[in-house]
Amino acid sequence: MRRFLERHWYAYAMVLPVVVVIAVLVLYPLAQGVFFTFTNINEGNIANPVLDRAATFVGVGLRNYLNVLSGDPSFGSFWSTLVRTLVWTFSCVFFHYTIGLGLALLLNREVKGRAVYRVLLILPWAVPAFISAFTWKYMFNAQYGIINQALRAIGVDNPPVWLGQNDWALVAVVIVNVWLGVPFMMVALLGGLQAIPGDLYEAAEVDGATPWQRFRHITLPGLRSVSSTVVLLGIIWTFNMFAIIYLITGPNPNTRILVTYAFERFFSGASRDYAIASTYGVLILSVLLVFAAVYRRALRKQGEVW
Amino acid sequence: MAEVAYVKASRIFSGNPPVRAVDELSLDVADGEFLVLVGPSGSGKSTALRMLAGLEDIDEGAIEIGGKDVTNVPPKGRDIAMVFQSYALYPHMTVAENMGFALKLRGVNKAEIKEKVGEAAKLLDLTKYLDRKPKALSGGQRQRVAMGRAIVREPAVFLMDEPLSNLDAKLRVETRANIAALQQRLGTTTIYVTHDQVEAMTMGHRVAVLKDGLLQQCDTPRALYDKPANAFVAGFIGSPAMNLKTVPLTAEGAKLDGIVVPLPRTALDVASGANLSEVTFGIRPEALGIIPSSSTEDGLAMTVELVEELGADALVHGAVRIGDSSERFVVRVDGRTPPTLGQEVKVAVRDASEIHLFHPESGDRLTD
Amino acid sequence: MTLDAGSLQVVRPDRVAPKRKARSKGASAALHATLAVASLIAVFPVFWVLVTSFKPDARAVETTPKLVNESSLDNYTRILSGDKGSFLTWFANSVTIALMTTVVAVFLSATTGYAASRFRFPGKRSLMMSFLVVQMFPFAVLIVPLYNILLTLGLQGQQFGLVLVYCTTAVPFCTYMLKGYFDTVPADIDEAGRVDGLSPFGVFWRLILPLAKPGLAVTAFYAFITAWGEVAFASAFLSAADESKTLAVGLQVFVQQNRTEWGHLAAASILVAIPAVAVFYLVQKFLVAGVASGAVKG
Repeated sequence: MRRFLERHWYAYAMVLPVVVVIAVLVLYPLAQGVFFTFTNINEGNIANPVLDRAATFVGVGLRNYLNVLSGDPSFGSFWSTLVRTLVWTFSCVFFHYTIGLGLALLLNREVKGRAVYRVLLILPWAVPAFISAFTWKYMFNAQYGIINQALRAIGVDNPPVWLGQNDWALVAVVIVNVWLGVPFMMVALLGGLQAIPGDLYEAAEVDGATPWQRFRHITLPGLRSVSSTVVLLGIIWTFNMFAIIYLITGPNPNTRILVTYAFERFFSGASRDYAIASTYGVLILSVLLVFAAVYRRALRKQGEVW
Repeated sequence: MAEVAYVKASRIFSGNPPVRAVDELSLDVADGEFLVLVGPSGSGKSTALRMLAGLEDIDEGAIEIGGKDVTNVPPKGRDIAMVFQSYALYPHMTVAENMGFALKLRGVNKAEIKEKVGEAAKLLDLTKYLDRKPKALSGGQRQRVAMGRAIVREPAVFLMDEPLSNLDAKLRVETRANIAALQQRLGTTTIYVTHDQVEAMTMGHRVAVLKDGLLQQCDTPRALYDKPANAFVAGFIGSPAMNLKTVPLTAEGAKLDGIVVPLPRTALDVASGANLSEVTFGIRPEALGIIPSSSTEDGLAMTVELVEELGADALVHGAVRIGDSSERFVVRVDGRTPPTLGQEVKVAVRDASEIHLFHPESGDRLTD
Repeated sequence: MTLDAGSLQVVRPDRVAPKRKARSKGASAALHATLAVASLIAVFPVFWVLVTSFKPDARAVETTPKLVNESSLDNYTRILSGDKGSFLTWFANSVTIALMTTVVAVFLSATTGYAASRFRFPGKRSLMMSFLVVQMFPFAVLIVPLYNILLTLGLQGQQFGLVLVYCTTAVPFCTYMLKGYFDTVPADIDEAGRVDGLSPFGVFWRLILPLAKPGLAVTAFYAFITAWGEVAFASAFLSAADESKTLAVGLQVFVQQNRTEWGHLAAASILVAIPAVAVFYLVQKFLVAGVASGAVKG
């Protein structure tokens, strides 16, 4: 034991601050959140230290889970919301990745003004989310928003009411989130491209590979480990991305995904329903854990252990 | 200045099964000695050096520096300096800062650091480059900065981990001589790791040969060459390598291709004492010679497959039939009259005292 | 996401794939056109808000868009003078909180990232795994338990409490990024430092941190952005008093109360975006190397 401490104490000393912060501010609240899912806790029956009121919520067993998983519309139509969440997540990540890769490939070439293009293309990343949300909301406005004005100008007589109660709203938030998320992917993939040794391309060229073959057999495999990481992160982040949807379309059922519904239950409504919000949180975590496990196994099958 | 001792020191890497990277190494290095650790990759030579530096744990046994047990002392308490294969210069510091860093950490005052760095720079011909960052130096200059960083500290022991392997061949030979001369002048105990046996032979006062974490032999270069303790050392030391063949034993000697090479009585006694029917027979290329085919002397019939002309002499590689198999032999011959490719030549042992005999299984040397 | 330090390569930001033949004129034009269009899309929303920010509220909602329409600096003057809320106070609060978050998050993720990069210690794998898992939970729904903990710790309503909460969001990814970056610094440097007389902490502080500046810059950027624009935690964990609000919270209230004041909103948005963009500009040249090293072997 002494030997063990002697060997590792500095490693532990260096991770200790993080472990303490994470344990206190993440694990403990998480445990409490999981506990909430088995109760009927809400703003009306929680202990309130300011008002000096004791807690009066009671345990309800698995009722929250049953209610949510039944797909009942008064509990957020879990299954159809899950489907919408998957559509949202995969369309966003798909465009993030493909557009990000395309731009990264272009930026990885020798092109005049590369540095300027790069700064401009990364810019959306630096804009705070609520500002982006406001900006796009303004641009998507059905009457005076510049997008519809532009559409009218090119002859679309009845441009969509973007942020109304229809599926255009989902398209609109996907567009905004793609705009917001491409820079991260682009930057990560650009770094990945630059890490591919140049002599591989030279070897391939000597072997007579066409540009497409070089892309297919050198670039893509070379990007595999970057890609697998950023795609996983992208999926997790997008799955839980509430700010954009919440700030642009609010409680619009056409853009409702799991995490925004958890927020609706948490923040709005007559009594803030902490129990259902937490139940959604736990279900989101479960879905993502299952996904990550499957994803990891798929990668491992291809020989990439991560 | 200090002597160094490994006392049954082992480094065991966890795994299944655990790997004994260095296995009960016992080695005494005298004060001021230049000791070279040599071995193929994976022999544990670098690990042994890093154990001495305090960069690897010592799982069993002990290490002493200057008579003091340093087994559990961190690197900074060992009074050592190390030159790394990659040089490990601090990229964000100038040459002068790199060289003076250890002194700065010890709280030596600035004027003194400057003086010592200046001296070392002069010694290594680096004075012009003191304000440069490592990035702006050539490979040879970087190597000298790494040396300078070690010298400035005036440590009890220098540790060098393949410090020449990133230099080109010409510079390597030059620097080899410089390091040896520098060590001679400073008189600091030096442990030097290399995989290159030429480097080991030319630089070391003594050379320790390692294989699979086990010390094979530690002796002067001459003794290693003349009396290798086992077949591994015999094959490892010397370039080109010794011809080593396991051959049947007769009452008079070793049987090669129909001829019997007479062996010293003592060797035969040892072999028969061990009940051996075979023996590993070793002879260096320079102890063989090509004799005229007209000669009545016994010889091996060899087909020449390759002639490497080195100028002063030439190395003749060829195949000799021993029993059912064809064995390759190398013979060093005079450079002006080498045989031609495909020619059949007759090879004879020039000097029977140059024959080394080893146990066919353990590889241990059979004679003195 | 485990850790395969061996095969990481140092990323040189200026290297490009080798190119043999000069591109044809057409291909070159297409390349520039694509990049220009993409850049336009990336920048346009920001540009459009900038244009709007100079217009009076009524002109901002006209049905024929114009670049300049009775434009003036009035919106900015009014916001900065405090007409629309204690803008400058909020701004100061936001700067304080974002900078504190940056410092704490960089410190936490640097120490952890270094330990994960250099040491093998029992529990390392589960630690790195847990960093991935904590990103999977929507933490904002845990505001209630978080509130209780902060109250117990005496940090509720304090800026530092909010800073710690932000750190839990920023640190996991930052740790991955920095670990990746530290992996690109050869371990020989650490060992040379140990032999030269540094303790493991000394190596970290005097050698690795100075060498990891690009990685640290990117981490700082990420942490800053995380804290700068956040609304939900800020409104829950800071006291409700107007003078303790952050910009994001203050503006959120402003938006809700003044749904039609597009000109003023635009001006306020620009003011909020400026510090973030400034920080971005400072670190942008490091971004590619920094993020990539984290992602390559995340």
